[in-house]
Amino acid sequence: MIHAKSGDNYFLQQLVDTEFTGTVHSVFKHALNIRSVADGEIFTLATTAMDNAPNTLVIDLDILDNLHIKQNDSVRMKRDQLLIEDKLQIAIETATCWQCHLPIYPSDTTKLKNNVVQVKRFIDLYGKSGGMKRSDSPVSEFEAETSRLLKQRTTLLHDGLCNRRLDSFQQYALDLVGLGPGLTPSGDDFLVGLFTIIRLEGSPCSIYQPLCESVIKMMKPLTNDISYTTLKKAAYGQVRESIHSLVCAMLSGTETESIQALKKVLAIGSSSGTDIALGLISGLEANIKLGG
Amino acid sequence: MSIKVVIKRNTYFDSVSLMSLSTKANQIEGVEQAIIGMGTEMNKGVIRNVGLMTPEVEEATAGDLMIIVKTANADETESAYLAVEELLTNKNSAQAKSDIKYATIDSAAQGIPDANFAVISVNGAFAVREARKALENDLHVMLFSDNVSVEDEVELKTLAHNKGLLMMGPDCGTAIIGNTGLCFANAVRKGSIGIVAASGTGSQEVSVRVHDFGGGITQLIGTGGRDLSKEVGGIMMLDGIKALDADEATKVIVLVSKPPEASVEKKVLAQIKECSKPVVVYFIGGNEEAVVAAGGQFAKTSKEAALKAVLLAGIDDAGINKRALNLPLIEEVRAKLSPEQKYIRGLFCGGTLCDESMYLAMEKFNNVYSNIQKNPDFLLKNINVSQEHTFIDFGDDDFTNGKPHPMIDPSSRIERFLQEAKDPSVGVIVMDFVLGFGSHEDPVGVMLPAIIEAKQLAEKEGRHLEIIGYVLGTDIDKPNLEDQVKKLIDAGVTHASSSTNAGLLAREMVLKGDHHE
Repeated sequence: MIHAKSGDNYFLQQLVDTEFTGTVHSVFKHALNIRSVADGEIFTLATTAMDNAPNTLVIDLDILDNLHIKQNDSVRMKRDQLLIEDKLQIAIETATCWQCHLPIYPSDTTKLKNNVVQVKRFIDLYGKSGGMKRSDSPVSEFEAETSRLLKQRTTLLHDGLCNRRLDSFQQYALDLVGLGPGLTPSGDDFLVGLFTIIRLEGSPCSIYQPLCESVIKMMKPLTNDISYTTLKKAAYGQVRESIHSLVCAMLSGTETESIQALKKVLAIGSSSGTDIALGLISGLEANIKLGG
Repeated sequence: MSIKVVIKRNTYFDSVSLMSLSTKANQIEGVEQAIIGMGTEMNKGVIRNVGLMTPEVEEATAGDLMIIVKTANADETESAYLAVEELLTNKNSAQAKSDIKYATIDSAAQGIPDANFAVISVNGAFAVREARKALENDLHVMLFSDNVSVEDEVELKTLAHNKGLLMMGPDCGTAIIGNTGLCFANAVRKGSIGIVAASGTGSQEVSVRVHDFGGGITQLIGTGGRDLSKEVGGIMMLDGIKALDADEATKVIVLVSKPPEASVEKKVLAQIKECSKPVVVYFIGGNEEAVVAAGGQFAKTSKEAALKAVLLAGIDDAGINKRALNLPLIEEVRAKLSPEQKYIRGLFCGGTLCDESMYLAMEKFNNVYSNIQKNPDFLLKNINVSQEHTFIDFGDDDFTNGKPHPMIDPSSRIERFLQEAKDPSVGVIVMDFVLGFGSHEDPVGVMLPAIIEAKQLAEKEGRHLEIIGYVLGTDIDKPNLEDQVKKLIDAGVTHASSSTNAGLLAREMVLKGDHHE
């Protein structure tokens, strides 16, 4: 029997209030994704190496890909335990409840402006290339072309944001969905960061919120289920703990706090963390410009 | 130009693996360009832009993995693709790391500058040299090798002690460091209980029981079986206790060993007195009064040690399944055994498991023989012939000289089991089956034909032969614990839920009024 350490409030409610059933969607070293039978939504079991995140239960295990759990194995709740076939039993009553509450966009942006500069500088130096950050020596023509398109399309999207071009936002955002290497394509990761900032209460970019929601409705066939779930949650202000911490630090923390929080985001995936951070920066810079 | 495209439906690799695979695939000889990525519309657009679009790529969907390999010549394409496929098969970065081989400790230390631990398993003649090199490179050492002189052991342990390093072994077969099992160990939950042990299977058993009772392990530090001798002076056990005392994650410490030599016991007890955390002491056949006087918690059995530890660690007593003995079953078996069937034969892979059952039998009987008895009067005269109650440790040097350990190669135990099963004076045969890292892939399965044969033979001769099996393992071990237990039960074997219960069941089943000696 394995104990759940913490869990997303919505996921825990689904487990407790419904007779949750699902199937295993995919298994990685530190995460195991489950597709709900009821509505196809993706939920995640994460090891202690991972932070809290939407639709995620962090369980007291270090590795998940050594349990012989396979795609399509059945998942069900039984007496306060989440069972995956007879391969994993998770007691959920021990889980502390977590929910992402994004901070309010500050009226005084002095700290924010300085933190954006410092975080950008740090990403230039230490961010991972291969996605949004162009590699000096791309390994293939495919990588070089992907980087070119990512740069071109994110610039268009950012410029549109800064100039209140509401009409083009949806198309520019959709042109990024599914673009790039990795399990969660770089374009999706960038949008996770951007949508997070758009979702902040008081954010000058919040006028784009309804457009983010319509992008979500149209994007499902354009990317894989895991990335879709992450982006959908971000569009409604639900992001993983490390991203939340970085947003808080950049809005009202010190430079040191911002860099500490950034390091944790940069550690996400391969280039995903860098791509997400650049999405946050794009949104915050647009906010600064739009907010005057 | 030649292109090979393979689309793997609904296949997911994590981003780190995908990016690393792409880089490696593009470095394969003959490959002009390789793409490994998800089949989204946007990625397909990029592929079109770089001139690699094919009908198969068009068909890919967002949940599919695309593998595209481009070579200059058609005859190179297949072999290049196979090389890429091989990368996918070995995608695990840990596997990739373990593929790097170093010929020497020095080159390994240079090649992996972050490493702080070396596991050494080489011929005993070279073991000391390699262990010394590792310590000189500031690496903690687990030395699996045996045949190391006691003088060398003292020298290595003193060097480690002076450098603030752990020197686990020689002849150290079990450890769990940073939640990684080394050599023979079980998959257990991470928790707040630290173990220092001079006994391999004893520490495995305590860690497994802790897991079963809902607790978890921080570190399991092996010392090597000779650490608590007068010559070595318990250097490693004392350093191990100090290390766990200083470890924030450890809330309770458990010591597992045969009783130390008297002067060493004094030092260990003094260390317990100084320790800021509760210490549970399981010294098989040890002295309760001395332990209690030192402020330790004495445990008579491995199960008691684990139970005390989890309770001290704060696990709720009410939620623990203590797995009580099946008393009606004991009565039932007593009734089935004939008056001639007076003896237990214990056939063990684990030395401490053997010791535990033997000590439990010695509480009731005064004719208990073994190849590991401390009292020379009860050492088997011939290890191949049992006497009255006999407990054999097949992992002892008597049986392993020039042969693999019985946890890996059970052949010598199978032979002995059939021999014992034919003895009409035998009432109960008790055996252990050890799961986990390093052990046999199907320890019960390999024994089953012999068990079935023995049962049939006994039935033919009109006697009941009671066989008790204990499977040492957790619900997250490999092979699957439940499957192994089911195999035993299906073969008519009585399943004991712990080493302690195995010993108690065996003892109680042959204990009748007229058998009590």
